[in-house]
Amino acid sequence: MADQESGSGNEPLVTEPPAHTNGNGHRQGGPEQTAEFVAEWRNAAYNCFSSGHKFCREVCPVTQVTRNESWTPTAFHANVVAMEQGDMAIEDMAADYVNCTQCGACELRCPNTLFTGDFYRFRTKTVELVKAVRALAVDNDVHQPGWQRWNQLTDQRTHEPVLGEVPVDQEHVRDWADGLDIPIGGENILFVDCEAAFYRTSLPRAVAQILQTAGYEFGLMQEQWCCGGPAAEMGYVDQARRFAEHNLANWRASGAKRILVLDPHDYISFTEEYPKFFGDDYDIEIVLVVELFAELIREGRLTPSVPIERTVTYHDPCRLNKRKGIWSEPREILRAIPGLEFKDVDRVTQWSYCSGAGAGLIIEKPELTAAISGRRMDRAAELDVDTLVSACPWSERPLSEAGSERSIDVVDIHEILAESLDIEVGGRTST
Amino acid sequence: MTTTAPVSQVSDVVLEELVQVLGSDHVLTNVTDRYARTRVPAPFPVHRWRDYVPDLVVMPGSTEEVAEVVRVANRHRVPVVPRDGGTGLTDGARPERRGIVIDVKRMDQIEEIDLQNRTCTVGVGINMLKLNEVLAAHNLIYPDDPASYPCSLVGGRIGTSGWSLIGSRFGHTRDLVLSFDFVLPTGRVIRVGDGGPKTSKSSSGYQLKHLFMGHQGTLGVATRATLKLFPKPEAEFSPFWAFTDFDSAYRTVQALAHAGVATFAGAVLFDEEKVAYLRRDDEAYIPQPGDVRSLVCSVAYGNEDEVRAGAKRLMRIARDHGARYLGDEISEGDWAARHDRYATPLHGRTRANQVVPMSWHCEDAAINWTQLPRVRQEWHRIVARIRERFDAFDDWGMFFYTSASTGVDYLTEIDVGIWEQQLSDEMWEAWVEAKRDIAGVALDAGGSISACHGSCREGEVDLVPTELGGGYDVMLKVKRALDPNNIMNPGKYGLDRAYGPSGDGAGTSETGKEVS
Repeated sequence: MADQESGSGNEPLVTEPPAHTNGNGHRQGGPEQTAEFVAEWRNAAYNCFSSGHKFCREVCPVTQVTRNESWTPTAFHANVVAMEQGDMAIEDMAADYVNCTQCGACELRCPNTLFTGDFYRFRTKTVELVKAVRALAVDNDVHQPGWQRWNQLTDQRTHEPVLGEVPVDQEHVRDWADGLDIPIGGENILFVDCEAAFYRTSLPRAVAQILQTAGYEFGLMQEQWCCGGPAAEMGYVDQARRFAEHNLANWRASGAKRILVLDPHDYISFTEEYPKFFGDDYDIEIVLVVELFAELIREGRLTPSVPIERTVTYHDPCRLNKRKGIWSEPREILRAIPGLEFKDVDRVTQWSYCSGAGAGLIIEKPELTAAISGRRMDRAAELDVDTLVSACPWSERPLSEAGSERSIDVVDIHEILAESLDIEVGGRTST
Repeated sequence: MTTTAPVSQVSDVVLEELVQVLGSDHVLTNVTDRYARTRVPAPFPVHRWRDYVPDLVVMPGSTEEVAEVVRVANRHRVPVVPRDGGTGLTDGARPERRGIVIDVKRMDQIEEIDLQNRTCTVGVGINMLKLNEVLAAHNLIYPDDPASYPCSLVGGRIGTSGWSLIGSRFGHTRDLVLSFDFVLPTGRVIRVGDGGPKTSKSSSGYQLKHLFMGHQGTLGVATRATLKLFPKPEAEFSPFWAFTDFDSAYRTVQALAHAGVATFAGAVLFDEEKVAYLRRDDEAYIPQPGDVRSLVCSVAYGNEDEVRAGAKRLMRIARDHGARYLGDEISEGDWAARHDRYATPLHGRTRANQVVPMSWHCEDAAINWTQLPRVRQEWHRIVARIRERFDAFDDWGMFFYTSASTGVDYLTEIDVGIWEQQLSDEMWEAWVEAKRDIAGVALDAGGSISACHGSCREGEVDLVPTELGGGYDVMLKVKRALDPNNIMNPGKYGLDRAYGPSGDGAGTSETGKEVS
């Protein structure tokens, strides 16, 4: 586990007061809920409004490509002050808050985090704020059309619809594992996010076979649903909770103690959203596969030996590097692979990098995602590499598209490790 | 829900013409767009936010588009406020009369890096840190380094004639910007500079560059600039020294400046109130024994052999003046912190020692070294008086920074915490009066009201005519000649008086002399 923040068991510094709910425990919009929202966020928002340093701006992936000050982390905070003053309503604000990938760079760069952080362990929580505003909008029936449809389809299919013409339903959620002979249930469960399960199937196949190579026992869920994280990110909190409740019940029914996660977005859901929903009752250990693999290599249980003749750089996924402080293990894995020429860019420089896919931006504004990915791949191209290695399936589609224009392959870290372990992965990396 | 946001007063005709120039994507009228373009650091009592909200915002992508927008505004007599980073500390980017905000952030392209002549040409919407990320590949640096380095933009540096932390070695914005394209209030585009676009010294004609820097957006909009580049320094030396009292630190800082060390890039003096404040509310920043009451830090940049030699000399001078070196870790870390974050914890204390959220208000002046002790004493006295009256004010101490390599003058700064959520109109008036007094002390000491931020905030702005003497009348004439309809950031620097009491053009200055 890297420095900065712990993963599972991380206690939020500010606990969220119960959102306004109706008799059935469902969230409910209206003036009282708005007042609760303002009361919760006013001091943090005021700290940002009054200092107005705006260090967050140039590190923000959306700001970098749009240059629009309305879509900056500092504006997202200041609007709350305007709301308190009676000058703005959620209807005025909601569309602006689409323009955020929830990457967390702004929080790291905020002087209020850096300075008062020293004294009070205060951290500016822009990601939480954006989620709260999106939730307030949904609860008040202010919807973004793309997100509304995405979440309706997710609700119908129990999985995200996944971009493009990919068939998604419960029957096919384990198709990626064909021929791998993975049991159902057990203490260790491999959770495969929607993008990897239905689209980039090479990724879960690589992970599963590496685990098998190391002799690490694991199974699959009886009935896996979407983790619910995307719904929470877009403001559909009740739906997120329903999905979380299903998954937790399913884990318990099969005696699961440990969930293995290959997707950084799931890792956020299971270590931040689920504890919020379930509190002390949440007793499941969450293991990030990329950390586990680094450990297995260290212990000699995995020995990459097939040389990979590529010149690579590593893309720090935002949710690992910026939100969880996990950046050393992926580098450890890459350095263990023979033949690779690894041109690293430090994690702090990468605070301002992003694929642009996160938190639903790719659904509502794919052109912004493409621009952000393009900028990221421009930085890679300057290094004269032929390959960019990522550790996040959601980043890999837009980065691959931007990479193909620049003749740079985008490869998942688990896949490249499997190759060096002489595993024939199978599956597919694109349509 | 009904909200109280001000309704846009710009006519549909103006809106339509702007959309024709820029397309609808870059003409913004939403309440959030307009409120975001009012914000500057520690701006005003929060309940007055709505008083300064513009009618609409445009985001042009080229000099020609800026010029077209200004022509539309001039034709219809609509106020125009240029906005770059919006990080200035004198409210230059705050619209006083609503109107159109021209936000130049989209103009952030690097058009050329001229490796032979060591210049680059950029859109003014680019940030210095971002520019330096690109220049680093060429082993070059653009050394304009304000505390707002991660967020301020080249255009705002031109509009305020910015001051740089390492200006004692590399010069300040005025020295680093060679030339720029500039849109006058009538929409005419001119190029301003030291002669040709890339020359650094010219004796040809009037030297207009200074005039079009530091005007706080009252004379027009810079759009594209050519900058002077330096080799990226091989080495940095950034010692921190501790002293038991202000006087020894004060003598040391000038001895360092007097030493004539070529790599010397600046020195900063922390007074006793500043150290006490940091100790009280930011213990992690400076965990020092109680007899540490004042600090000096210095920084040198250059080639490694030169920095090493200079460092030896600076260390010897400091030691001879009774300084105690704080060690490499603190020195490197704290110097980095000056670049990376404002040294302000954003909370203060009431007189009863209760911690409360406060925002940072920073008053700056240019003061000769000999006058620093006097200014220090009087400024603290002014802040003590207002704190005595109202518990929402806190004295966060003072910094003094060398402006030049010779020690001639210092950017002198007092940081005041204000618990703005408690602020009443009466308290705000008292603060404005205190600011006027602070500026008055700077002038009595033979200094300037501002070395760094500009001087058009309430209070201090009243004394600008006094500081400039007859020069202020020239300012009025220039304003009226270039901006006949008073559309360019109107209401700043008292320049309305160039147009007479009713703003109809029959102007007289404050001193009663005819100016038109």
